[in-house]
Parts: sequence; C-alpha cells; structure tokens
Amino acid sequence: MMKVQSLKYVIIVLAVMVAAWLLPALYEIVFPRTGKMPFVVYSCLDSTFICFETQENKQVRYVDFRGQEFTKAEADSLLPLFSFRQLVAEGRLPDSLYGVALTPKLIQQNAFHFKTSPKQLNKPAVGLYTMFESASGNVDLVLPPDVFRLTDEGLEFIDCETNTVNRAKSLSFSRELAKHGFVFPVHLIWGNGTTRKDYDNGFLLTDSEDKLYQMKMVKGMPWVREILNEKISKCGNEKIGKWKQLFTLEPANRKLIGLVVSEDNRLFAVRSDGQLAEIGKNDQMVNDQMVNLLYDPQQMQISIVGDLFHWTITEYTVTDSRYYAVDANDFHLVAAETVPDPELPLSQRIERWILPIRLRFTSWQTQMVKPNINDD
Amino acid sequence: MIQSIFYKEWLKLRIFWGLAVAVHIGMVAYILLSLRSTLMASGVVETWATMIGRDVLMVNRLMYVPLVTGVVLAICQWLPEMQQKRIRLTLHLPVDYTLSIGAMLMSSLAGLCLLFAMDAVVLAVVEQLWLPRELVWRTFLTCLPWYIGGLMGYNVASWCIVEPQWTMRCVNGLIGAPLVALCFLTAQPACYTTMLPWLALLLVAVVWLPFYSVYRFKQGKGL
Repeated sequence: MMKVQSLKYVIIVLAVMVAAWLLPALYEIVFPRTGKMPFVVYSCLDSTFICFETQENKQVRYVDFRGQEFTKAEADSLLPLFSFRQLVAEGRLPDSLYGVALTPKLIQQNAFHFKTSPKQLNKPAVGLYTMFESASGNVDLVLPPDVFRLTDEGLEFIDCETNTVNRAKSLSFSRELAKHGFVFPVHLIWGNGTTRKDYDNGFLLTDSEDKLYQMKMVKGMPWVREILNEKISKCGNEKIGKWKQLFTLEPANRKLIGLVVSEDNRLFAVRSDGQLAEIGKNDQMVNDQMVNLLYDPQQMQISIVGDLFHWTITEYTVTDSRYYAVDANDFHLVAAETVPDPELPLSQRIERWILPIRLRFTSWQTQMVKPNINDD
Repeated sequence: MIQSIFYKEWLKLRIFWGLAVAVHIGMVAYILLSLRSTLMASGVVETWATMIGRDVLMVNRLMYVPLVTGVVLAICQWLPEMQQKRIRLTLHLPVDYTLSIGAMLMSSLAGLCLLFAMDAVVLAVVEQLWLPRELVWRTFLTCLPWYIGGLMGYNVASWCIVEPQWTMRCVNGLIGAPLVALCFLTAQPACYTTMLPWLALLLVAVVWLPFYSVYRFKQGKGL
C-alpha cells in the first residue's frame, strides 16, 4: 500500500495543476484581452472590402484595407445593397446596378446571412431530429408530432405523445432512402429544427459511402434525392473527397439548399436544383496571388454576408482573419485579403513568460469541457 | 472491529442519512413533477422540441445538491470527531489507522454512491416513460459530473476538517475547492463526456487526501 507520507507528492501535483489553471484565469481578469474584429463587407462598386471598425468611443470608422477612410454617407453609397434602408430613407438608392433594377424587396430577398463557429459545432449531438412538413401549404411551419433517430438500419420515428416507434413511417423513409442508393447507417446529417424559418429544406445527409443526399417530407411522404452524382463528383479535375460538415439553409431567395464542406476543407454550395458549386474557387490571380477559399469548420469561425451580386465571407482562424468576396451566382472568387492577427499585447507576452504552463478546461473552439494546455 | 466502526458511523450519521434521503427524494420528485407539469402545460411535442433544439434538460436545480450533501456529510462526520478529539480514540484502536479511517471514509462514500445512484435510477426510470432514451441518457451524462463533484466535495471537506493546523486547512481549501469546482464549469447538457475520465482520475487522487490529514494529526501537528 502507498505510504501515507508520499501523499504529499499527490497534493503537490494537484496544487501545481490548480495553479496552472487558476493563475492564468486570474491574470486574464486583471489584464482582460481586448481586440474587436471589424465587420467587413465587400463593395462591388469600389471592388474593395470596407471595414466597420468600432472605436473605443463607440464611433464607427469606415476604412478599406488600403487605409482609405470614408464618411458614413460615402460608405453607404459604396455598399448600396448592404445599406439600402438608409439609402431609401435618403432617396439615394440607385435605380439599377449592373443592369438589374433595384427594389427594396429584391435586395431583401437576396440578402443572406450565415454565421457559425467551432464552439457551435463541437458539442454533443442529441441524436434526435425534427422532420417538418415541407409542403403543408401553410405559411407558418408547425412542429410535427414525432421526432426521428438514426439507427444502423435506417430512421426510426418516435411519436412524442406515446413515446413509441412509428414503424410504418420509419419503414417508409428508410425504404425511400435505400431506393435512392443510400447505404445505412447515416454518417452526417444536418437540418434546422426550428419553426423560425420561412420554409423547410429538410435535411442534408451522407451515407456510409459518403454520398450526399437531401431528404424532406412532402405531403407526409418521404422525398429524397442524391446531390452528388457521377456527373458532378468531379470539380475541375479534382475528385471531391469525403464530406466533413453539412449545413442545411433556407435562404429567402430559395436558390440554395445548403453548404457542405469536404474533408480537404473546400466549401461547396448546394443549389436548389441539386447541383454542387465550389465556393471561392479561383481560376485567376486575385491581388497578384493564387488564393482558394478553404474552410475548416473545426478550427475557424465563419460569417457570410450575401447580397444580390456578392457574398462577403469572413473567416477567423487562430492566426489571422481572412476575407473573401465571391460572386453570388457562380461563386467564383472575386477578391481576397488575409489580415494577420496583431502582435500579442505586452500583457499577454508577459503572461506567456511568467506562466509557461496555462491549463484551461473550456475553449473558444468547443463546448466540451476538457483539459487543454497552452491553448490560448 | 471494522464492523463496529461501520456501526458507530451509522449511529452517528443516521439522522443525516435520513434527512439526506428525504432531501434527495424530494428534489428528484420536484424535478420530475416540474417536467410532468411542463409536458402537460406546454405539450409533449413542444417540450421535446425545446429539449432537443435548445439544449434544455430541466435538471439544473439538481446541480449543487450532491455537492451540498457531500460537504454536509463531511461536516457531520468529522467535525464532532475533531472538536471533541474523539478521533484520538479511533487512532488508538488496535487496528492500523488507515484501516479504521478508511472504513469511516468508505462507509460514507458508499452511502453517497447509493444515494446518488438512487437519484439517477429514479430519474431515469420515470423519465423514460415520457422521454426518448437519448434525452434520458443525456440527462444522466449531464448529472454525472455533479455526482462526482458531490463525492469530491465530501473528500475535500473531510481533508480540510481533519487537518489539525488552520494554515494548512486554508491551503487544503485553496487546492481542494477549485478541484471540486472543476465539476461545475458548465450546465450545458452532456458537455463533460470527454472530461469524465479525468474527473474519475481526480476523484481517485482526492479520495486519499483525508489520510494525509489524519497522518499529520497523528504526528501531533497543530497541538
């Protein structure tokens, strides 16, 4: 049996662990980490990114990456689709842009926002999903009386009131998927289980062979289609690898079903016709360099602000912020900027010197509690 | 001899155990009745949707109950021993003090484990009548670190109370309290799944700490 005296070494180890956890946390309270990321939108008129930088006095500074400053009125003019409400109020909204007649309704319908972070994705899944009726004919979506789970053999619908499996419905959806070549079990699945959306695009899901499908319920019956078929399984000459992340979307203009990310971090849009289009693929030089948009959902925070003509895609990584503008129709890369994170402030450099081991149990990248050493 | 120690502990703590069982049954019943009332008032479909979509499990009121139980047990068990110096009698028994103190600690830990297991089983058995197994399992995974926190709280409180010197008592508290706090960093459902092996390891380390305080007591520290 362990000698009782030797327990002091256990206590020392525990004390070191507690110090490595609490001292950096206390240091961060005394020297809080500041640094706001600017909000960035691509201006199709000036072919540049406009940054909205909130100053310490809460005033917003409008500046591009070349350092040119703008007044608010100038920024509004350069971003007519983003600031259309202000321009409409001032009577300054252009009649047309690139030959397209602009109306507030058209602009609003094509406005698209998407934002997610590793913390939102890296959390334990419940394993239960809500299948809405996609064609009820009603404007508002209604919660269905059941939810479904994934099993090795298919889907299993559970009636909420009785907490029992609805075998007929389960069989019907599983058979419909199998009929389209779906090989169970489901590998990845994503649907938006909220009634706070205009309509329902159902679920994007991949099978055990990494084939991509869309599944929804239409008039109470299963509706399935394969997204990635033989014809589009190659993008350029490169074969798309496995999928690592799916997002089902319900944008107001109904042009998209979702976004999917391949194992090699390429981002694809799933068009409403079931075709895939790579986002940010670059056939030409942008800013004198070859840049391709890559997105690692486990490591990067992403935000997409889309309008009628362009999407501004912002990615925050651990080392830099990346800004991309892509064409809203064919998704080719129009402009790209990478801004390295500023040098660490003195307080953080001192922290790294005086506290060489920093233990954390929570992280900006995940909701899971787990020990991380020097993960700043 | 060890059986006598168990019996002595039962005589000393039976009121505590009676109250603890009553409080835990009451708390679990309250949580289950709240869930039932939500299911009836808001509707089963809406309640399931909230639990699935918004990461709500309705067991958060249980969070600190195991910790309070563990700490109060340590106070009830060890404070009289220390105040009235009864622990000296135990240390003079014709058995190794690690066995006698170990029996005292183990009887309490076993009692806590039984109490917490009773909570978990009652919660799971009743919840599975109303909820799918995924939500029942998720509830269990969410509560598990709180129960480990209760066991750690008992051991850390025992470590501090049995420690004969006030300065070391404070040091023990400064080391032990953050270790217990590790079990309560978030109430987000099932977010401790990756941390559970580490918490189990910490629990194994913390279980031995009261022996060090008793060893120091035997050495005459603080006298």
